[in-house]
Amino acid sequence: MRRKASLILLALAVFFAALSPLLRWYAFPRLAKVPAGQYQDMVLEAKDATLLDYGTMKAEKVDRITVVQTLKGNVEASERIERTAGRDVVVWDGLSYVQGPDGEMVSKFPERYIFDAHTQEPVHATGESVDGTPVRREGLEFKWPFLTEKRDYEYFDAQARITAPIHYKGTEDFRGVEVYYFEQTIPWTKVPFPKIMPVEGITPESVAETGTTRWYTTVRKFWVEPVTGAPVYGEEIHREELRGGTLLGGRDKVTAFAGHVKMREDYIRSTVDLVESQRVAVLLMTSYLPWGFLVLGVGLLSLSLYLEARGRRPGGPAPAQDREPEPVGA
Amino acid sequence: MRALIAAATGLALAFALVLAITALGSPTGETSPEPLLTTVPSHP
Repeated sequence: MRRKASLILLALAVFFAALSPLLRWYAFPRLAKVPAGQYQDMVLEAKDATLLDYGTMKAEKVDRITVVQTLKGNVEASERIERTAGRDVVVWDGLSYVQGPDGEMVSKFPERYIFDAHTQEPVHATGESVDGTPVRREGLEFKWPFLTEKRDYEYFDAQARITAPIHYKGTEDFRGVEVYYFEQTIPWTKVPFPKIMPVEGITPESVAETGTTRWYTTVRKFWVEPVTGAPVYGEEIHREELRGGTLLGGRDKVTAFAGHVKMREDYIRSTVDLVESQRVAVLLMTSYLPWGFLVLGVGLLSLSLYLEARGRRPGGPAPAQDREPEPVGA
Repeated sequence: MRALIAAATGLALAFALVLAITALGSPTGETSPEPLLTTVPSHP
């Protein structure tokens, strides 16, 4: 009976010990992925910003500029691309909608971001675009890979349509969550005018005819939770200028937008809560379960060996005491 | 010999379980009916 029990324990010990690395290095990279149908919105604000009044063509100080960013997973498009790409793909249709203090639209910037659901590497397919223009992204955008490393990454800048390094600057504590801080600086770069301009009747083509060009610089800051690769907080010190041409009335340049854009407080709280819950799910597969199974396997193996050793000990009743020799009588 | 068979059974079961779970994968879900926002939401 003991022999049988030790064999069952041995089988279980091997089962759990094998499950540990299989879960971490085989199952996790295949199961951990960004859901194709995810929908998320984000509100960012720039207080005391500078904004160009297209009526007077003068830069004005405004109380607040609000940026509403939506990312919507397009499941049908991702399934269509998966058939040819041969891997799990996520298609995010995004919109950055900027609203002025009066509630009027300042800019509307749509994009389609296609990426590998497991690694977050960009996937190049028809439809990949920024503001309706086809692009070929390199590097990350919006999200870092699962198990983010302490190193620089390449990050795609949608305004300038360029990829540049985003530098790892250190590990910090952000509201009780350990995060990696990344920073990217895009130097002054000439960028296209948005397809949808804030004033009716003005088009990018009509502005281009005046010879005026649009320039942009930004310092992009992200605080990324490394287990999930999800940013829990972001800021951008963003500046835009119009330069040259006849539109500026003899001036060299005019500020079109300048502001320090930060996530709105209620969105910070909800993002931190969401990321913390997802972090536990990832840690379950990368740490808690693999280590738990390994310890369980070793424990079961020890128990199995103990039972086996006891089963091999000579059993049966204790030997009878020797009788005193009887005197031999005549 | 019996110990070897027990160990092989445990190993095979571990592989079978992990392969089955990864083959099942996770559901893809559906595209959200929510629109891309052009108004400022009052809360998340």
